[in-house]
Amino acid sequence: MRRQLTIYSLALMLMIALPGTLSSQITSSPYSIFGMGILEGNASGLSRAMGGTNIAFLTDRAINYGNPASYDGLDSLLTIFEVGIFSKYSVFQTSKEKQSLLNANFRYMAMAFRVSPWFSTSFGFTPYSSVGYNINTKAFLEGTNIEYLKSYIGKGGVNRFYVGGAFSFIKKLSLGVNASYLFGDITHIEASKAYEFSLSDITYLSNFTLNYGLNYQVDVKDWKFNIGLIYSDGKKLRTRNTTIIETKYETEILKSRKYRYSIPTTMGGGLSVRRNYFKAGIDYEWSSWEEADMSSAYYFHTRNSNRISAGFEFPSQGIRKGSVSMVMYRFGGEYRESYMVIKGVPIDYRAVSMGIGIPLKGVVSVVNTTLEFGQNGSIKRDLFRENFVTLSIDLSLRDLWFRKRQYL
Amino acid sequence: MKGTGKGKKGRQILLLIVLGIVLIGSCTKTNEFTIGTGFMMPETRLEIVDTFRVDLSTILVDSIITSSKQIAYVGNYEDTIFGLITSRSFFDLKYDIFGEIEEKAIYDSAAFILNYTSKNIGDTLYPMSVSVHRMTEQIVPINLERILYNASTALFNTSSFNYEPEPMSTVVFLPEPNGRDTAVYLNVNAFGEELFSLIRSKDERVSSEDFFRNYVKGFVLTSGSVVNNAILGFAAGTEKLVLKIFYHINREEQEKKELVIKMGDIGRQFNKVDFDLSRTPLADIRENRNEVPAKLTGNKAFMQGMTGLYVKCKFPTVQNLMAGDGWKVLKAELVVEPEKFSYEKFPLPDSLYIYSGDKKNNMSMLRDGNNQHLKALFEFDDYLHENNRYTFDITDFILNELSDSYFDPNQSLILGLASTKQGARFQRLIVEGRRPPVKLKLYYLSY
Repeated sequence: MRRQLTIYSLALMLMIALPGTLSSQITSSPYSIFGMGILEGNASGLSRAMGGTNIAFLTDRAINYGNPASYDGLDSLLTIFEVGIFSKYSVFQTSKEKQSLLNANFRYMAMAFRVSPWFSTSFGFTPYSSVGYNINTKAFLEGTNIEYLKSYIGKGGVNRFYVGGAFSFIKKLSLGVNASYLFGDITHIEASKAYEFSLSDITYLSNFTLNYGLNYQVDVKDWKFNIGLIYSDGKKLRTRNTTIIETKYETEILKSRKYRYSIPTTMGGGLSVRRNYFKAGIDYEWSSWEEADMSSAYYFHTRNSNRISAGFEFPSQGIRKGSVSMVMYRFGGEYRESYMVIKGVPIDYRAVSMGIGIPLKGVVSVVNTTLEFGQNGSIKRDLFRENFVTLSIDLSLRDLWFRKRQYL
Repeated sequence: MKGTGKGKKGRQILLLIVLGIVLIGSCTKTNEFTIGTGFMMPETRLEIVDTFRVDLSTILVDSIITSSKQIAYVGNYEDTIFGLITSRSFFDLKYDIFGEIEEKAIYDSAAFILNYTSKNIGDTLYPMSVSVHRMTEQIVPINLERILYNASTALFNTSSFNYEPEPMSTVVFLPEPNGRDTAVYLNVNAFGEELFSLIRSKDERVSSEDFFRNYVKGFVLTSGSVVNNAILGFAAGTEKLVLKIFYHINREEQEKKELVIKMGDIGRQFNKVDFDLSRTPLADIRENRNEVPAKLTGNKAFMQGMTGLYVKCKFPTVQNLMAGDGWKVLKAELVVEPEKFSYEKFPLPDSLYIYSGDKKNNMSMLRDGNNQHLKALFEFDDYLHENNRYTFDITDFILNELSDSYFDPNQSLILGLASTKQGARFQRLIVEGRRPPVKLKLYYLSY
């Protein structure tokens, strides 16, 4: 009991402290210079190993905040707490050269439990998008042939704190909603160490948004078929901007510039099938980025984004199957037409993923380890392709906390 | 089962660590990452402007403090640039309790001992003539209380006191300024004998400082009316410039003795420097309120220690920079290149110092970040000899001037030696208004 309390208070502390310190400095890709940066998607730990497929999955062994209706899948006795970190190694390749980066960071944190037979809830903190780049260029002292090093640095992103609930008044049908608060800041810096100046452009963004979800289950003998639907409204984000110019001798806050950021209308649907411990699913998601109002470079524009993914999981066979030491294997793939079109070149993303869920001794908990191999972008028109490997480690702590309290 | 599970996990963790290290090792350093350069739309531009007009002039500061510099300049030197310069050096002797001289002691001789320094100007290959005159009045430093508001006293390159027109002694010698153990002996036998007997007889005149100074008064080292080709600097510390009285006592063997009388207070030792600019481009400087614009002197401006010549720079067009927003000065440099070949004969000062000047050429030191007098070292371009220059970082000064959105066109920068060296060294600098010019270089950021 004491040990569980410690775990939960630790988890709660993490949830309060982490968002401030880590506030979504995740991506390290020059592509994140555009718009709101790289979108982090809606897939939590376990579903990342299945290509991010999650729309029709219920929250049973892991929290699925991608579809708020999924919380209805929670066992009435379980409380789930999840935290995820990742490390990404990327090789950036242009038509001429290759450079690589490694970065690691926090991915998400969430908690879910059932409140009553018809209502379950979840809340958590996840990044929505992230900006992270550090590009060095040579610039000329105008009117001379003297070169100096100029750095372009981007950091920040948009975070999301959500509280959601799933309602089920009719058997096999659940409806859910996530109320999210999006907040964050995006900073673009142009600086030179040698000449000791920097121009920092900081935009603070925030707004509330609602995501709706539906899940309906059809049982055919042992097989459980689920259909999932999600929808969220497009919205402009509230922005506040400051631009600061700093030299060795002076600091001046310049007149604020107008920056527009918005999130798109998104809708998606998914299908899944389950039997015993086997599960498979497929997703399609569409977002209306084309009409999203965003200021950006002249050679950049947005298009409507599409995402399809598919994945499945199965348990280890033999004696472990169904036991507390059962290991889960997962595979998946994902293809995304991102919202970015740069110099007329659409930026597409493809990845395959695999994962393994290993139960931890003692606590009813699992470590999900996921490896993703993927590719993003194109080397056309002096752009670059990003080949990456991501290792995610997601810890899922499940506890029979409520029952114990009731009966002890 | 458990055992193998543990082993497996251990191996996996090890593998991850190894993989992590390999990946970190193969990464591009953050400050070397360049991919994505094509996305950048610079909002800042860094520019250099060095086309500001710089109006040069030579100014003459009336009096330069030359006391307490511990150097005695004697001689004269003439060239067509700085004219005829003549230096005389005044000093007196230190009173001491001279002690007992035995009755049997027999006076031999006496001489002032002049030790060389390396601080000379002109041609030291020719014979030099140096005389010593006895003063007819005491050296009295001028109280600076009215000027500096403190109790200090000083003497200037223009100060003078009366002395006997006839020298006590004259010596003509070939200078050996680099000879370590050589010194110039100026024999003053008659005066020495007089002093010797006064000390031996414990005369009232050598019984106290007041009496002694009133009796001795002081001495002047001059080169008389002789035309020399150099001005020599002799060491003039209390222990360095001395009068030696030689005597002996006849015992079984002759015992040789000497009495050393040190130079008096360094505050009463100074150099009077006369300079005749009449045959130089600066001939009219005194008639023109001690300032001559470079355009009247062949686009040149002149600086020289001891004589009070400084180079003044004015920036009449900086005010034009005020127009428009969206820029910041990152750095301001004043680049001073000496006129080519002007420093073959006279080495340039190692460092040059900068002062700000007002309309009346009142000077105050510019200071650097450590509150030290702002200076620039001479950079010698060994290879091409084309970028020999002093570069001052005058960012603070420029920003300060720009801060009220008005650059006073009467505000100037004045180049000279360090304030303590101005009255101690003859070092000189000639700059040209054109090739290579004195430049104000502004690095500014526009955004």
